[in-house]
Amino acid sequence: MDELKRVLLVDDDPDFIDINRIILEAVNYQVDEAHSVPEALQKLNDFRYDVLVLDLMMEDRDSGFILAYAVRSDERLRHIPILMLTSAEEKTGFSFQFSQDQEWMKVDDFAAKPLKPAELVARIEKLLERNASQ
Amino acid sequence: MTTASPSRILIVDDEEIIRIGCQRILEDSNMVVDQAENGRAGWEMIQKAPYDMVLLDLMMPEMGGLEVLDEVQKYDHRIIPIIITGFATIETAVDAMRKGAYDYLPKPFSPDELRTKVNRGLEKRWLMMQAEQLREERDRNLLELTNEKSRTMTLINCMREGLIATNRPGHIVLMNPAAQHMLRLNREKAIGSGVSGLFGNAELEKQIAASLETVTRTTTVTHMEFKTSDERVLHSSTSPIVDDQGDALGTVTILIDVTEDKKVEQMKSDFVSLVSHELKSPVAAIAGYLNLIIDGLTGGNPDKEREIIVRSRDKADGLLMLINDLLDMSRAERRGASKVMTPLDVVPLLKETVQFYQNEAKAKSITLMLTAAETLADILGNSDDLSRLFANLISNAIKYTLENGKVEVSACVRESQVEISVSDTGIGMSREDLGKIFGEFFRAKNALARKITGTGLGLAICRRIVEDHHGHITVQSELDKGSTFHVTFPVHKNN
Repeated sequence: MDELKRVLLVDDDPDFIDINRIILEAVNYQVDEAHSVPEALQKLNDFRYDVLVLDLMMEDRDSGFILAYAVRSDERLRHIPILMLTSAEEKTGFSFQFSQDQEWMKVDDFAAKPLKPAELVARIEKLLERNASQ
Repeated sequence: MTTASPSRILIVDDEEIIRIGCQRILEDSNMVVDQAENGRAGWEMIQKAPYDMVLLDLMMPEMGGLEVLDEVQKYDHRIIPIIITGFATIETAVDAMRKGAYDYLPKPFSPDELRTKVNRGLEKRWLMMQAEQLREERDRNLLELTNEKSRTMTLINCMREGLIATNRPGHIVLMNPAAQHMLRLNREKAIGSGVSGLFGNAELEKQIAASLETVTRTTTVTHMEFKTSDERVLHSSTSPIVDDQGDALGTVTILIDVTEDKKVEQMKSDFVSLVSHELKSPVAAIAGYLNLIIDGLTGGNPDKEREIIVRSRDKADGLLMLINDLLDMSRAERRGASKVMTPLDVVPLLKETVQFYQNEAKAKSITLMLTAAETLADILGNSDDLSRLFANLISNAIKYTLENGKVEVSACVRESQVEISVSDTGIGMSREDLGKIFGEFFRAKNALARKITGTGLGLAICRRIVEDHHGHITVQSELDKGSTFHVTFPVHKNN
């Protein structure tokens, strides 16, 4: 039997961690959670993850980017696909057009919160497939 | 000739026959006539009653006619003097006329001659009076006009709005102190100079220039807003000044400093977006939880489903709390008229609130106690608001205190201030957080605090209530040791 795919959920909102955990566990992912950037970096250092789902806005409005940048700058981590979630377009003033922002945002996919369960699963699967074919 | 009252005439002559003759003739023409038999008597009568005309004989004992003429001239130049003379020589006549006599009558004269000369003299007097009246009226009008002008200028100079007027070629002809201040310009230098390059703001200059060009019969006002070099926002409205023919005479521009309005607008929209975010998060969470059940991701596990439903219910409760706090806050905002402030003692309110929260404290095995005298000096306050304030502070203290902790409420009077403290042995706050806790939607970042529900509005509401009561609220706190909130209100002086 294949080993379970391991996902790290990074969000400072416990509800979204819980909701996404239930969704992903229902389709057989192993789910870990982190509530802050340092906690996430610690977990990334300690375990091997297949995909990273992170919230753009945690304690500071750009923590999501900082974490994504840190992951991309790390030789051992840069291959991990990142799905960035956000509910905060109006607050940051950033535009979230994937094609334009991908280069400097260093993430693989963007989605607005809340994401329907099937959509979350589909997006993660797509990221994993893409990674596997590379 | 239209005089309301009959003309009054004095005849001064030492010849009785002349006096009586003249009197009869003139009285027939509806005049009031008096007589004097010599110069001195005549002069005395003139000083006692108002005469329109005096007929003066030149040769009289006691006081001669020329002498009387002299006095009359000095006394009242409106009395018309006519000389009667028995020595009708050109010299005497010329002499009398030079001395100010209006006319002369050589003796003997006919009644017609008398009537003609008297009437002409009276007519002259009437014209003189009319001219004088008109002159007075004109002087009075001029004075009023000057007053009116200075009144208008005073109004313009006292206006909070800036006012600038230009003439047709676009030169400044008027600029009030408010405009001078708003544009940081020297008024004396500005008046008379062209608009171009003067304001350091091309948009305003363009607006004024455009207003001169686009003159139509229906006056058009153009509005715009612009930023000054020192970051203030001015609203300007310019309209052409148009004459009856529809030609532009110049422009008039009103400037209003809207910097503060813009700030309030910005704060309002910031607040709305903040509130929207705070409302959206729990609603999105509820939707997320419901999706789990709808999509069957709970695997039909009833315990799991129940847990999810409870979590959703808690989120909905949180939303309700938030909305109530928002309503409270908008109520705290409504200052003045609708808020009744009465002298009151805070001790009964504190007692009531502490009593109310005893059960909540007991449930967490927290000791909640009040230390205060039975009564304290009154403060001027609104009891609903103060109850809300104390409830927020005490419930916060209980919320952030771990089991078996302690919450102490105390009140006393110190230096004409009523001082209330709420002190807990709770989780405390970091120095960094202390500065922000009275702001809207701020919640301290603390691993322990994450599990505690709250709207982030409670202390913001407290701050508003305290400020409404001209009081102060401060906080001391140490992480993991506890926090103490101090509130002070000025003591209300009865007289």
